[in-house]
Amino acid sequence: MAESDAKPKADPARTRVMVEWKHDSPLMACRFDPTGRFLLASAQDNSLQRWELEGGTKTGLVGHQSWVRAFDFIPDGSALVAGDYHGKLLWWPYAEAAPKPLRSLDAHDGWIRAVRVSPDGRLIATCGNDHLVKLWDAVEGKLVQTLMGHTRHVYNVAFHPNGKELVSGDLLGVIKHWDLDKGSVVRELDAKPLHKYDETFRADIGGIRSFAFSPDARLLAAGGITDVTNAFAGIGKPLILLFDWEAGKVRLQLRPKENFQGVVWGIVYHPDNFLAAAGAGAGGALWFWKPDQAQDIHMLKLPNNSRDLALHRDGLRLAVPFYDGSIKIYTMAATS
Amino acid sequence: MRCAYACGSADHGWSRRQFLTGLTASGTLGLFGGGFAGMIHPAAAKELASAQKRVLLIWLNGGVSQLETWDPKPGTNTGGPFRAIPTSVPGIHISELLPHTARQMHHLALVRSINTQENNHAKGAYIMHTGRREQPGMEYPHLGSVMAKLLTAPDNPLPGYIHITPRGDSGFGKQDAAFLGPRYASVTLADGKPPANFSRPEALTDEADQRRNQLRDRLSQRFAQRRRTAETEAYSQSYEQAAQLIARKSIFDLSQESPRDLERYGTHDFGRHCLLARRLLEHGITFVKVSHTNYDTHYDNFDFHLEQLGEFDRTFATLVEDLHQRGLLSSTLVLVMSEFGRTPTINRNYGRDHWGSAWSVALGGCGIQGGAVVGKTNANGTAVVDRMVHGGHLFHTYFRALGLNPHKNHYHNQQPIPMADPTASAIEEVLA
Amino acid sequence: MKPAFSPALDPRFVLSLIVASWAWPIRAEEPLHEQIDRLIAAGDPEFERKAAPLASDAEFLRRVYLDLVGTIPSAEEARAFLADSSPDKRARLIDDLLARPEHARHLQHVFDALWLERRPDRGVPRGQWQQYLFEAFRSNKPWDQLVRELLAPDLKDPKIQAAAKFYLDRDAEPHQMTSDVSRLFLGMNLQCAQCHDHPVVDDYTQDSYYGIYAFLSRSYVHRPRGSNSSMLAEKAEGEVTYQSVFDPKKVTKSAGPRLPGGELLKEPKFEKGQEYEPAKGNAAPVPKFSRREQLAVLLASRDNAAFKRASANRFWALLMGRGLVHPVDLDHSNNPASHPELLDLLANRFADIRFDIRAFLRELALSRTYQRSSELPVGVDESARETFAVANLKPLSPEQLAFAVMQATGWTDVERKSAKDPNVLYGRLAANMAPFVAAFGTRPGQPIDGSYEATLDQALFVAHGKLLATWLAPHPGGNLTFRLGQRTDPREVAEELFLSVLTRWPSDEERKEVVQYLQDRSGDRVAALQELTWALLASTEFRFNH
Repeated sequence: MAESDAKPKADPARTRVMVEWKHDSPLMACRFDPTGRFLLASAQDNSLQRWELEGGTKTGLVGHQSWVRAFDFIPDGSALVAGDYHGKLLWWPYAEAAPKPLRSLDAHDGWIRAVRVSPDGRLIATCGNDHLVKLWDAVEGKLVQTLMGHTRHVYNVAFHPNGKELVSGDLLGVIKHWDLDKGSVVRELDAKPLHKYDETFRADIGGIRSFAFSPDARLLAAGGITDVTNAFAGIGKPLILLFDWEAGKVRLQLRPKENFQGVVWGIVYHPDNFLAAAGAGAGGALWFWKPDQAQDIHMLKLPNNSRDLALHRDGLRLAVPFYDGSIKIYTMAATS
Repeated sequence: MRCAYACGSADHGWSRRQFLTGLTASGTLGLFGGGFAGMIHPAAAKELASAQKRVLLIWLNGGVSQLETWDPKPGTNTGGPFRAIPTSVPGIHISELLPHTARQMHHLALVRSINTQENNHAKGAYIMHTGRREQPGMEYPHLGSVMAKLLTAPDNPLPGYIHITPRGDSGFGKQDAAFLGPRYASVTLADGKPPANFSRPEALTDEADQRRNQLRDRLSQRFAQRRRTAETEAYSQSYEQAAQLIARKSIFDLSQESPRDLERYGTHDFGRHCLLARRLLEHGITFVKVSHTNYDTHYDNFDFHLEQLGEFDRTFATLVEDLHQRGLLSSTLVLVMSEFGRTPTINRNYGRDHWGSAWSVALGGCGIQGGAVVGKTNANGTAVVDRMVHGGHLFHTYFRALGLNPHKNHYHNQQPIPMADPTASAIEEVLA
Repeated sequence: MKPAFSPALDPRFVLSLIVASWAWPIRAEEPLHEQIDRLIAAGDPEFERKAAPLASDAEFLRRVYLDLVGTIPSAEEARAFLADSSPDKRARLIDDLLARPEHARHLQHVFDALWLERRPDRGVPRGQWQQYLFEAFRSNKPWDQLVRELLAPDLKDPKIQAAAKFYLDRDAEPHQMTSDVSRLFLGMNLQCAQCHDHPVVDDYTQDSYYGIYAFLSRSYVHRPRGSNSSMLAEKAEGEVTYQSVFDPKKVTKSAGPRLPGGELLKEPKFEKGQEYEPAKGNAAPVPKFSRREQLAVLLASRDNAAFKRASANRFWALLMGRGLVHPVDLDHSNNPASHPELLDLLANRFADIRFDIRAFLRELALSRTYQRSSELPVGVDESARETFAVANLKPLSPEQLAFAVMQATGWTDVERKSAKDPNVLYGRLAANMAPFVAAFGTRPGQPIDGSYEATLDQALFVAHGKLLATWLAPHPGGNLTFRLGQRTDPREVAEELFLSVLTRWPSDEERKEVVQYLQDRSGDRVAALQELTWALLASTEFRFNH
């Protein structure tokens, strides 16, 4: 047993529900704020919803005219930045009593699929259906750089922990590694298993649905769907490609041990060197992997389709937003 | 089939008979082409006028979402993430996924109140192609076959109904003509390629082929001197039709269109297929169906509609504009439809499911009032609240738009079969 | 009649033969074929002026081969028949052909297409069904018995259970079965009467439709768990109600099992729970009283006038190219037979000879009516064909066409050399029917009667198809173009060519044409011989049975 004042360890096998809240519209993306006070999630009613972890008070952030599938926080807790399907990027003073947008930008032509704030909080990276990756001054909201080169919708971006490099991944499973000082592509990583052109459907299916660097920057995880047998119904297997960052090659393919059809929608790389991911298809699931084992070490079936995954700064709490409008906070604490 | 000649069908038996008599009298047995129009009975003039009409059917296979196309409901619990945009017709808004089509809205009409009560792919497709629900023991002909019969001039050697599919096998899809007979069945051009038998074997030279056909024709004429029937004539004609088709085979050759046009239409399958459709319509094919696949988006409806409609929109708008520029639109009925729409409710996989009870189709061109919008669904699109119609009404409407009488009968083995569902009627509001 | 075949072991069949053999002369002194000719002549005051003379030997030869054995004769057979000068050679040929297994194969093809309408296989493997039909016609199973087996297949008898395919391929859908049973076996196309009384035909009422429907509505397809087989089954309950779509009041009527014009079926009553035989294993429960069996008994009976008429008319149309009632599935009072007395005679006589198919076909074929030329006499118009004063032209069925083309090109001879066993030979040749059916056949579920249509794809199939090209290329196994290539005299080439393909000698003009053709194409004689053969195959004369 740990000492009573010591921080409990995270034990994936002990993961259990702590609290559940409900909104009246399906939820999509979610994040804990950097202060650890709030949990925010976006909903299909175009709003963002803020829950106070202490007490569960819910407040709506209403201002987007479309769905928000991605948002991130300025590390000092001053604002969150959210991108929507109309290409708008909004800065929200999310901690205020009744938040109103501080700034609204037309950031992309069409859907903004991902928003990430750099570790130092100075840059915001966005990407979208205009095939572009853009970097913004987090404080001024000015466009700093436009990174061109993807030929299809750009699904995701992630900052390297050093803040000077960036990865972006598209529908076709092409991951570009950018040097932000030079504004150029360093190399490409091949995530083709996360894409398929379905001959029957006559369409591409897949894409980099989730991204996470390990805190030590030695590994990059890219998640999505593979082995698609039926694009109509999204029948395929969840897959995380774990890249050795230095070599730029897939080191391991992380797959669920138990048969499951669906997509990996959210990945968290835990400081204790394991990965957690939420996926959904016919129902949802939460898996945990060690970075040196292809099969998960633990799996938790979820009662509804999960759509994202967030980790609290305490390293113990996970949040999962659901299709049925509920959001659940799980704890991995080894002691109860 | 025998019936077309012998049963006394009021519609076309006579013009075919007239055609045959004309050939016999002129002594140019079995030869189509030059000067034939002069042999047509004067009463056929009106028939011939309507024979100049054509139909373009764009089939969005799998069931396109009405909410991502013709009946957007932004800001509602069913609307999804996309917005509605204004069109060339003030007051009409459609999904932002159709920006090019929006600029052609003055050529198009929308029916937003379809309720076919059918959520099964095959049964829904049957309704939309035949204007009837499936009925045991009875098979109705597809619209393409019906129009191939009613609109194709008897001297036209080309197939009346061409279906361009993205894949599969090229060939003759006789099933869709039902009792009208295989003559009016579709010819499938898989990926735009004509069936293998369209091409003469390489070993057979043009000259040898002509020679052997001359001998065939002499033998057949000799045989027919005292044994001529409608059936023997039709058989001889089929070889003449084949010869005519071979002579005009270039109409199936897309490489004769300019690279610039190909660029305008899009170098993807649907772009090439729509450019081929323009070429076919221009060269006298009555009914051209182009299938675009696939819209059966139970999963990730929004990503897939972005992808698929991204192809559809610019290509379709280009085709409509071209038909207009070339003076063909006023005589070409344009239809955009699916087997059904998609559920207003967004499912757990960001998908939409099958939905036959409140959805939309677009019509345009010949006989259609551009800019008309008929029918209405409720605020979040879950039910029709005004002017509910089904496949039968649409079928009547196509007939009327093409100047045809939907209340007439087909005759099959002397049995009258109403051309359109007698319990339905045309949607007058979309007719010009 | 003389049985020119070995009687089968089935005692019922033997009985029918015996009955046929002695009963006939007693009932009619005048042979049936002569009565046919007399009544046909009596049907039109101007008959003598319009009537075509008897067909030439060559015309008759080709016709009777196609009608009775489904293909054309070889050049050898044709030479022998044309050279034969005996007066009874036509009658002898008819008996010879009727006794051949190919006759049963031909009827197998005819009724397979007619009854199943080229539907995809749903129950009973196709091979079993074809064998069932072949054996039925080979053993000359009486027609009424055959129809009863189709309508109520005895599922316990392994020799008969294949008959269930008639229903199974229709998924035992009651409307489909009702419509097809009445059309195919009663000559009544009641399709329109499903929803309302027929708008044009007074006799075809909605209650006649639902009377038949009530016999069949309890039938269904049983798919035993753990097996992918389909079995025909029947429930012991379920009553039929219907409305007319034209009735503004939407009155609901009920219908019990009843044939058109017949009496309501009397049914035994069972106590609740006693309606079925004790269940056996995976099989569906069997009702103690089967409406479907009653349909078979009542419908395929000499007491059922509609059945007798439709049956006689069916075989008449098969040989004469047109029904006495025409179309064959519209027998009603507003569409009388062209020769009513003759149809009555044929209907009754067919029943009197216990529905002996072979004996009936023999009489039809012996008639002068059947043997008339199809060439219109000068000054006579086409309507003379409708009264059978001049023979009708019959388009070859896809199966006839396939076998005739194989015979004409000599492909049959090539295959015969390597397949001595007739069943093996048949199997090889029959495998080539499919592409002909695809090009010339109706689509699945479409009625075969009156389905002729000449289409572009057929012409392209003949003109450019690989199959014909293969048969036309000279083959060392001795196909036609190979044989022609070995002849040096162009006049002999012409004779062999015409006899092989068109079953007749070329005219002088045609001989000259062939000679000229070969002269013009002397640079490529191999190709020229194929072109010549193709021209004959693609001619109208070949396409039709005339």
